[in-house]
Amino acid sequence: MSEQFEPNIVAFLCNWCSYAGADLAGTSRVQYPANINVIRVMCSGRVNPLYVMNALQQGADGVLVSGCHPGDCHYMEGNFYARRRLGLLKELLEFAGVDPRRFHMSWVSASEGHKWKEVVEKTVEDARAAGPFDQFRRRQIDW
Amino acid sequence: MDLEKLRKTAAEIVSREDVKYLIGWRQGTFGYRAAPCFVEDAAGAAELTFSPLCSANLATYLTLAEKLPVPRGKEPDSRKTALLVKGCDSRAVVQLLVEKGVKREELVIIGCPCPGMVDRALLAEVIPEESAPADLKWSGGGFVLVKNGLETALPRDRVLAEQCRLCRHPNPVVSDILLGEPVQPWEVGPDGGVDEIEAKDVADRWDYWEEQFSRCLRCYACRNACPLCYCKDCILDRLNPTWINRAVNFSENTAYHLARAFHLAGRCIECGACERACPAHIPLGKLNRKLAREVRDQYGFEPGLDANAEPFQAAFKPDDPEEFIL
Repeated sequence: MSEQFEPNIVAFLCNWCSYAGADLAGTSRVQYPANINVIRVMCSGRVNPLYVMNALQQGADGVLVSGCHPGDCHYMEGNFYARRRLGLLKELLEFAGVDPRRFHMSWVSASEGHKWKEVVEKTVEDARAAGPFDQFRRRQIDW
Repeated sequence: MDLEKLRKTAAEIVSREDVKYLIGWRQGTFGYRAAPCFVEDAAGAAELTFSPLCSANLATYLTLAEKLPVPRGKEPDSRKTALLVKGCDSRAVVQLLVEKGVKREELVIIGCPCPGMVDRALLAEVIPEESAPADLKWSGGGFVLVKNGLETALPRDRVLAEQCRLCRHPNPVVSDILLGEPVQPWEVGPDGGVDEIEAKDVADRWDYWEEQFSRCLRCYACRNACPLCYCKDCILDRLNPTWINRAVNFSENTAYHLARAFHLAGRCIECGACERACPAHIPLGKLNRKLAREVRDQYGFEPGLDANAEPFQAAFKPDDPEEFIL
């Protein structure tokens, strides 16, 4: 019996919406895949595109960035900047040959526990379909 | 272009009290080269030239100028820098103005409408480069090579540089003095290099870039040649946090090139300086042009045209595309 590949996903969640949404999913006992490693950031606008690249280099098979819906940002406009930057980053990664299924962005509000579940399921499914991402992994040098 | 007029104008400008020096091009001392030069007096101005070999982007030197601390009791040097610009150089200057990298009142911009530069490598394929300096001229719709007193006509399509073939703004977008008549912008064909990669499937694209990036020496010539890579504290030099390791291997090279291209998203003015500087012939222009194309098509923004525009990545529109969002 061959074991199913379990992807390793790094998720950057904004403190005010998506993190609370994921929390709600937990308190509401919504079942979703456990492949997600959550990193809480104060705003999706805080997510430097280099975070995404570094996550992929350090062994993530997929990256998810999630923030408040446009117009709902705690800092008024942070997610608008994130949308512009990460949209371009997605284009760049795809152009460079990174499977577009490895990088996703979503808007999940604090009340959308069920949407969070769908987003995670989609992200994990996509990363699983794309397979392990070893070719970009940082070479560890043992001195 | 009338070189006499260029030299006369330059001599007048450098003799002005409020001008520190003028940055221009002069005939190189080897083969098909034109060297950037700093002119401080009339004798230097007499050496200036503007030929199809002047592809170096002089806007790079604006941010490289060393700013020494001002001794106590002395006034800071507020003299201006004069600079010759082609279409692409002027866009770099505008982008620097947008980012407040330079101040408009500290510049004297001399515009040179540019009918297109040659690619030295392509030129050397047609006629091999020798150590004796050769000159190049525009003539009709093509170029004329002047070497050892002999003139050879070269077809434009054969030797025109790639970034010039795709150039949409051959005339300076900003200038104090415009030398010569504006040139008629030419028909820009499809960007074959980018389309070719987009036509591949994702895994093949990775293989393509793996082949390219594996050759990278990490000399950072592309960063240093770029007129818009001028951060004092560059992420590549920073050790804590180490965003990109200094090790030369495929993973770090890829991270470096993607980061470099991304930092120029919405800023790159497509002058081709990075690709010209690359000793490993990595097609960096394709990465830049891909992002420039997305910025133009999806966001309707073209950098380096309006000095009052907001920097692309530090601005947003409520109706930016978001089809990619789950």
